[in-house]
Amino acid sequence: MGATSMSASLGKSSRWLLALACMTACAVAAGCGGSSNSATSSKAKGHETIGFLYVGPHNDYGYNQAAYQGSLAVKKAFPAAKVLEAENVPETAEAERVMEKMIRDGATILFPTSFGHLGPAMNVARRHPNVTFLHMGGLKNGPNLGTYFGTIYDTQYAVGQAAGMATKSDKLGYVVAFPIAQTLLNINAFERGAQSVNPKAKTSVVFTGSWCDPGKQAEATNSLIDQRVDVLEQHQDCTKTVVQTAERRGVLSTGYHADASGLAPKGWLTGSEWNWGPLMVRMVRTVEDGKFKASPYAGLYRVGVPSGVIKLAPYGAAATPAIRKQVTATYDRLKTGWVPFEGPIRDQSGKLRVRAGVTPNRHQLESTDYLVQGVVGKIPGGA
Amino acid sequence: MSSVRTGLPVPLRPTAKRWTRHPALARALGWGVFVVVAITILFPTFDVSLQDCLIRATPFVFCGLAVAVPARAGLVNIGGEGQFAFAMVVVTAAVLLVGDTLGAAVLIPLLVVAGLFGGMLWSGIAALLRVTVKLNEALCTLLLNFVAPLVLAYFVFGPWRDRSSFNLPVSKVFPDAARLPTYGVTQLHLGIVFAIAAAIAVWVVLDLTRWGFRARVVGGNPEAARRAGLPVNRIAFAALVAGGALAGLGGMVEVTGVEGVLRPNIGVGFGYIGFLASWLVGHRPLDLLGSSFLLGSISVAGDSLQINAGLPSTSVYVLMAVVLLLVLSIRGVATRGTS
Amino acid sequence: MLVEDVLAGTVRSGTSVLFAAEGELISERAGVINLGTEGCMLTGALAAFAVTNATHSALLGVVAAVGAGALLASVHAFVVITCRANQLASGLAVSFLGLGLTSWLGAHYVSRSIHPLNRADIPALSDIPFVGPVLFQHDVLTYVGLALGPLIWLFLYRTRTGLILRATGENGAVAFAYGHSPTLVRYLAVMVGGALAAVGGAQLVLAYTLNWVENVTVGRGFVAVALVIFAGWEPLKATLGAFVFGGALALQLQLQARGVSISPFLLNMAPYVLTLAILVVASRGRAQRPPEEIRAVFGTTGA
Repeated sequence: MGATSMSASLGKSSRWLLALACMTACAVAAGCGGSSNSATSSKAKGHETIGFLYVGPHNDYGYNQAAYQGSLAVKKAFPAAKVLEAENVPETAEAERVMEKMIRDGATILFPTSFGHLGPAMNVARRHPNVTFLHMGGLKNGPNLGTYFGTIYDTQYAVGQAAGMATKSDKLGYVVAFPIAQTLLNINAFERGAQSVNPKAKTSVVFTGSWCDPGKQAEATNSLIDQRVDVLEQHQDCTKTVVQTAERRGVLSTGYHADASGLAPKGWLTGSEWNWGPLMVRMVRTVEDGKFKASPYAGLYRVGVPSGVIKLAPYGAAATPAIRKQVTATYDRLKTGWVPFEGPIRDQSGKLRVRAGVTPNRHQLESTDYLVQGVVGKIPGGA
Repeated sequence: MSSVRTGLPVPLRPTAKRWTRHPALARALGWGVFVVVAITILFPTFDVSLQDCLIRATPFVFCGLAVAVPARAGLVNIGGEGQFAFAMVVVTAAVLLVGDTLGAAVLIPLLVVAGLFGGMLWSGIAALLRVTVKLNEALCTLLLNFVAPLVLAYFVFGPWRDRSSFNLPVSKVFPDAARLPTYGVTQLHLGIVFAIAAAIAVWVVLDLTRWGFRARVVGGNPEAARRAGLPVNRIAFAALVAGGALAGLGGMVEVTGVEGVLRPNIGVGFGYIGFLASWLVGHRPLDLLGSSFLLGSISVAGDSLQINAGLPSTSVYVLMAVVLLLVLSIRGVATRGTS
Repeated sequence: MLVEDVLAGTVRSGTSVLFAAEGELISERAGVINLGTEGCMLTGALAAFAVTNATHSALLGVVAAVGAGALLASVHAFVVITCRANQLASGLAVSFLGLGLTSWLGAHYVSRSIHPLNRADIPALSDIPFVGPVLFQHDVLTYVGLALGPLIWLFLYRTRTGLILRATGENGAVAFAYGHSPTLVRYLAVMVGGALAAVGGAQLVLAYTLNWVENVTVGRGFVAVALVIFAGWEPLKATLGAFVFGGALALQLQLQARGVSISPFLLNMAPYVLTLAILVVASRGRAQRPPEEIRAVFGTTGA
């Protein structure tokens, strides 16, 4: 309003503006006084600077918390190393800027931990051939960029068994952020696990369209429970709302990313959990020893239950002895490297996707674009 | 204030001769001093790179201009966010359609047009509702901000997801011909020049042309403008659509100059920061270059705050908001004193 | 079944917006539009969550929310009433302030848990088929929310204070002539509005999401501002508007839970597009007129 017509006070306000600009700058100065960097990086063993980037908050009871715990393990294993961290880093050129900043601060090893950080990391990696990038969840690599991930869908099969045995209505619910290969694969594993112990079990899927929108998660959970769903599973970054809403409405929940048994003292069955620490420590050591390029970490590295990176979360009060026995047996089988995706696998339309007797390899699995029979709800936009 | 309120002609250029009496020069000098201080003292202290600040400030300039142009006609455009996002969708559609067949000399101008068009289309909805059913444009553009990112997500997670990369929710990587040229080994892209040129062009149009003058009259007092025979609705419509086009150009610059691929979450918050940038300088296009640089620097300093001082990156919003609230208050008091 | 589930979901997901919309309505009726409602909701949500986490008392949490929301709203009141700055710009800046402050101060609360505000079924009424599950099987704050529209209607049209408030919104000079300070009335209205928005935020985290995360409201406060216009500044219609928004949100998730195949992105647009569509229809009817002082802010002159 008045802004277009302030000719009288222009000079005055400009001086104020200038003063404010300087004030702002001083505020920034005070805020981080003394913390300025020394860009000279010490390359001595164990004295590296290591940077971690998370796409969400580090304490989200989910994916980012799991990655953060990995960083804690690295800190503990390399007490002389300097660990830099940045959370809520979007999967855009912003991430490039944060990585560049960490490199200016002396980082020689970077852990971009969201799968969407891959593109930005590839760009930065090209510009800094002497920095090693260890990206979580990616499907491409470069000379100084390796990518690793865990086959967490393996344990999702076991979790599905727990859900399939626990359900009374034969209806399971899955609250999912987005339809991408990783999430579809987990839903499929969960439903196949449930079917293996309860052929009548069906899994209803609701997509919230956001990695973390507790309001939608609450309503999605309520909607599923209204449909007589009595076991809830989910796949998104912040996981507490679904578990707690299920607990409050007296239905059971299984988990993904992290142990949430404390949030559901009555209804918790079990869940899949990440244990990144040991792997991250091994990777840092390999880079330190100058053996990165020859190591499997320089490629598309995949680990599963046998390596200990993927774990089954502790059983909760709702897990009966029968459930524990079955799930533990499956878990033991997974520890031997078994992949729970043997054919025949049919998609929702009945089309045969994996022939009988065939087990797809990891890369075929990771480009899954269909849901298996028994899943209720469609992939939006078509496969 | 009173001269515009009554719709009487205001002098287009102040008549005073001495530069100290010339507010535009004084402001330019002020910004100049700030930039020099920032580059020589603040940036080295906080390890902020000038390149990052320039790249970050560029979309703020476009989103700020998207506010400044409608503001001249008395309209409030909060929709830079949505216009920016929707334009990126249109630009990406163009790249996917013809990106592989055309050379940069043809493709880049085409994408500029696509960006302008996308932004116009999105702000056009609000402009149309404004002039037909008198729906308030501030709220309309605000609500549309929640829709545009979902349109983007629909395409990125659906039809455009990259089948060559295991169905990741990103578009195909843009071909080189669809990327804005960069300067030497730096990441400084041509869009930065676009932003400066756009700010100068908007200044020329708003302050030196007949249309700009008419828009100011409409913004000052629509009733008087109508009685004077000005096409009030047409000017309001054009101002809002032009604003959208500028935000759209910003989207084009960001997706072709910086990202080179369409991902969800590109440019989240830029529209709102542009809004703050424009209000900070009373919608003066040239000063907007300064305020965008200031806010760009604060954004980038947020990285240092987080990595070196452990503060969450969103705390820079506090700083921006406090600065704007102080400026608004002081300016409000000052204006009240004179009117 | 679908209708009953959707309506129950409507009440669940619309209540937080309802509080914010009614608060904004009071503020606008006194002549101040507050886009900072979003920030007030966030502030209220964090204050309620933090205090409930510390004291295990949801009641104290709500009290804290009221204080925090009123405090943030008073910043807006100072900037626009005392300093006469533009209301839309100040409001947006206040929302940013709320977002930044709560992300900063709330970072530690992301992993914390609370004893949530539990369902308190109303005896007898909750057993009525259909009506019971829809209206009478909720938390206490939801019942307050359901009563809020009628209460504010009574306040505005049947009390002297309400009359003064409306007069201030129509023309500050008239209220002043009758011996009431428009400045004081507006300050109070804006702060009450912010407090109600904060209670909406509190309801969201205490009874619905049960958790705090950064930007937990995701734009609900902005929607509330739009709903006030849709409602034509009438409290009962504002209640309706909030439930239309909540209904659109609930419907899309209920449909997905039933296996209906629609893109979640298109469905997520529904609440906003629907709000916009209703605004268009409402403004065609010209049935309502904004308070004069709000007209000045909007510059609603047009054709």
